This record gives sequence, C-alpha cells and structure tokens, in this order.
Amino acid sequence: MSGRAVFVHDEALEAYGFGGDHPFNPLRVRMTIELCESLGLMEGHRFVSPEPATDEDLTTVHSLSYVRSVQKAGRDEAPLSELLDYGIGTQDNPIFPQMHEACAHVVGAVIGACRLVVGGEAEHALCVSGGLHHALRSKASGFCVYNDAGAAIARLKEEHPGIRVAYVDTDAHHGDGVQWMFYDDPDVLTFSMHESGRYLFPGTGGVEEKGRDGGTGYSLNVPLQPFTQDPSFIECFEETLPEALRRFRPDLILSQNGCDAHALDPLTHLSATTRVYEHVPRRVHELAHELCEGRWVAIGGGGYDIWRVVPRAWAALWAAVSHQEMPETMPGSWIAKWGGQSPVALPNLTRDAAADYPPIGRAAQIEERNRRTVAELKRKVLPLIEEGPRP
Amino acid sequence: MLLVRDSMVREVVTVSPETTAAEALKLCWERGIRHLPVLEGGKMVGLISDRDLRLATPALGDPNRAAALEKIRVGDEMSRGITTADPEDPIEQAAMAMHEKKIGCLPVVEGDDLVGILTASDVMAALVRLVGAHEPGSRLEVQIPDRPGSLAEVAGIVRDQGVNIVSVLSAPSEGNGVAHSVAVIRLATINPSGVVRSLQEAGFPVLWPPTAPDGPGL
Ligand SMILES: [Zn+2]
Ligand SMILES: [Zn+2]
Repeated sequence: MSGRAVFVHDEALEAYGFGGDHPFNPLRVRMTIELCESLGLMEGHRFVSPEPATDEDLTTVHSLSYVRSVQKAGRDEAPLSELLDYGIGTQDNPIFPQMHEACAHVVGAVIGACRLVVGGEAEHALCVSGGLHHALRSKASGFCVYNDAGAAIARLKEEHPGIRVAYVDTDAHHGDGVQWMFYDDPDVLTFSMHESGRYLFPGTGGVEEKGRDGGTGYSLNVPLQPFTQDPSFIECFEETLPEALRRFRPDLILSQNGCDAHALDPLTHLSATTRVYEHVPRRVHELAHELCEGRWVAIGGGGYDIWRVVPRAWAALWAAVSHQEMPETMPGSWIAKWGGQSPVALPNLTRDAAADYPPIGRAAQIEERNRRTVAELKRKVLPLIEEGPRP
Repeated sequence: MLLVRDSMVREVVTVSPETTAAEALKLCWERGIRHLPVLEGGKMVGLISDRDLRLATPALGDPNRAAALEKIRVGDEMSRGITTADPEDPIEQAAMAMHEKKIGCLPVVEGDDLVGILTASDVMAALVRLVGAHEPGSRLEVQIPDRPGSLAEVAGIVRDQGVNIVSVLSAPSEGNGVAHSVAVIRLATINPSGVVRSLQEAGFPVLWPPTAPDGPGL
C-alpha cells in the first residue's frame, strides 16, 4: 500500500535497557510513544508488533560464540571473566536478565521494518528502539549488544541479491559497528556524521576511513568539531549526503537518528537543536522519494537527555515518516504525567527557540574547520562512488 | 609485542653493488618500496633508496636519462655505514634512531644476517597499536604530578569506576613552572564522565576533552 507509514513497536522492546542510573534508559522510548499519541500523531496509525530475531538473523553479522555468550549472560550461566572478553558485564554494557531476548527483539523489529518497506507493504517505517550502531561482530560496545542495522542489511542482502542499501547515521558518535560490517562492500554505502573521534568515543570515523578493497569509497565519514551548531551541522549534511546518495542510487535508505548531538546531551560536545532533528528526516525523506521510490526505514540511536530532547526529536521523526506536521505546543497531559519524574523542567514547545542557542564565540572557526573536512571528503572520497543504476 | 621483530617486514628485497640504477628503480616501483639493502657475498654492505637513485640520474625527460640509468651501479651511489636495528630492540628505540638520524628505514640484522627491514610506516603501524587507536574508546588527557605513584593513583581511580584502560601513554610536559606529566589514556567506555569527575575530585586536572565551547584546548 503506497503512502503508508508504519510505526514498528511493541512494549517488549522497552525491555532493552541496563537498569539503575545507566544513561541508556528505555523510559525515553515510552515517553516518545506517549508523546506521539498525545500530539495526535498516531491517529489513523497503529503500532506493528515485531518478531524477535532468530539466531540465524543474528549470526549474519555476529559470531555464534558471541550470541551464545549473550544468551548465557542473560541467564546468569557464564562467569564474568568470560563475558568481559565479549564486552559484556562492563560499566557500559552491564548484564541484565534476559538480555539476549530483549536485544534480539530490537534486531527483529528493525529486520521487520526493512522487510515491510522492501516488500512494498509500507512506504516508510520507523523503529525508535533500533540504531544500536556500536555493536561489533563479537563484542558489545557503547551500550549496544546486537547490531540491528547491520543484521537487517545483511538479511536484506540475502533475501534480495544485488540490493543496494544506504545507511545514514547522524548520531553524535561514529557509526563504527555498521561501518566495519560492510567496510569492503560496494552495495552498502555507510554515511556517518558525528563528533570527531579526537574528542569522542569510539575514536574512529575520520574522513580517511573510506572503505576497503571493492568497498573503497563506500564508507563516508564527516567528523565534526565539538560545539558545532545547527547552521554548520546542516551545511555539512547538505554538502555531502545528497550528492553521495545521488551517485550511489540506493534501493533503500536506512537512517539512524540518534539525537545525542543536541546541545543538552550529557555525553557529547555537539550543540545541535531540534532544528537539526526536523531537517535531517525531512531531507532523508525527500531523497528517498527522489531516488528509491520512497523506500525509507528510520531507526533511533543514542540520546541521553531523555526528558527534554529524545521524545521531541523522535516525535518529529515520526511526523516526518508519517507525512504529518509537527504541532507547536507540547501536550499538557504529557507534561503533567512526566513532569513529576523529570529532574529538569520540561519544555512547553516542540521546537527549541533559536534565541536560547545563540552562536558561540568560536562559531566561525568551527564552521571553517568543518568546511575543510567536507571539502576533503568531497575531493578524496565522494568521487570514488561509482554512479549507480538510473531507474 | 612492541619489539622490532613484531613490526619488521621479513621478506626483504635486496640488490648487489653491481645492480644498475635502472634495475633498482624498477624493483622499487614494482614492489612499492623505497629502500633496498645492498648485499655482497651474503653480507650487507650498504643501503640504497629510490631517492638516492633519482638524485644521481638525470631528470625524467632528459635525453641522457636512459643511458645513465644503465650505466650507474648501485655500489656507486649507496650509503655505507648503515644504522641497523636488532630484532629484539624495543620499537621506541628504533623510532628514536630513525627520528634522530632523519632516516626512513632500518635494516634489521642478527649477527651478520639481514633478517628484516623496518620502515617509518611499520613504526607508525606499531604506534597505532600502542595507543590502541583501533579499539573503541574515549580519549582523555590527564595532568599528573611528577612523583612516584601518581600514575598508579590515576589507574586506581579508573579501576574504581569499573572502566577498562585500552592504552596509556605518559610524557613529561613543561608549563606553569611545575614539573608534571601528561598521561593520554584511552578508556573502553562511551561515558567517561564518572572517571573525569573522580579524577578532578582527586586533584588531577583533565585537559582533554575540552568542556567549554570557548575554553582552552580547541
Ligand atoms: Zn513519503
Ligand atoms: Zn551516540
């Protein structure tokens, strides 16, 4: 059915979280869902429940021994010393009960979202629980246990030989896990815009990481200066992504929409506002219609100001996915419900006021550095993308 | 792990003093290398680089070039009295020798035998491993006083936060008249804020990453 947008979600997905005061808090997903409902953005739409990923789905990109270790960890059947080798049981990725089931469900949700779109049952799909882009083949990393986007792309490649997927990642952290999984693959273009690895985890994502062998030119990285604000962020995005996608000609765009580049995010040093979180999905949406008959799957990602940033950013994402206008005012009922739990005052408007985020003193310098990065990418890497098939 | 033998290239392309400049340059080009040890009777007697050969021959386009390339022998142009490394040398010692003598390559010799070659790019690769730059991590620079136990104290603070250290390097640093060191630590965490806070509370200034948009360090 053309024009239909699908929100893939189930309460089971909200089990993905590490408990206690860990920064990755699934409450952000609950708040997002309820904000979409309170804003009236779910009218005429329903949530589609996904199936968990199978072991076969997971082992498209993960080693079987790693999957077995996650399974044992969630059942308390493996010694910590053994799990630490897999990045499990660390401060970042603590063990939680049934962690395999929770993580596999997220992967299944993103695989399901991709199948709905590629199969033509939906035009666009959103799964805010996905976007765990740091997970490596045999290692949990940066709050990510299984790599949902990686597994979904690998599955699509099996089911639709020859399919070309563009992965677009605007999380503040480099999308390293997905990049390494397809580093030598010219049918998967990975694009990551993030705070430079000189300042931020995971430390990778320089322009010179451009892919390997046949995949050379198909890993694109735009590392931004810390404290980059909206105008420079959007300029860098516009200068690189449309050209890259137009050359590549994907069959599907899978976008990771981590919102931790926001100025309020406690884990990063970028200074974006909701303007970026409306601009990025709107443009990805337009490019999907221009280049691949609208086939677009959007997933979540990082975002650690769960009160003021994540629900608004991802409600705006759903508005873009579902062809709706984002209302201006935050619903009183939603503020009343969550305001009591929030340690900070909740905003009354869905958009940040530009006046609250004036240009910083070094804005021009930062902009200049970012421009040099973009110029280098355009000079050295973009031309390596072979122009894809025209429809 | 960080000895010359772990980073050197074992298959060495060599020439003899009688090799012509044309042959030697062709070898460099075909194998993508810049340095050729020169052997005579199995013993290393010199080293020739593509740069030495280019400097000794007429420029590209010069009508005399082809003849000169055939005439000049490696033995005429090679450097003698070569600095070499031992396979068991620490990589930093080899790096220091290359840096101080401004040379791009060290033949690796065991007794009289040439067993490998170490180039600047091999040293770079070792450095990447040394600093753990290929492992996901967050980079911190911490100022520590020059006194015994300081680094151990910093490591203890990191341990108490339950965070693994990917790598640690420390170098003496001048500034504000007090002798101190700066330790570059890569932490295996996406969220170093707990470590940063504890370090600062314990009196260790964290110099990187910068925390204020208009602050120092950027
Ligand atoms: Zn559309
Ligand atoms: Zn992130």
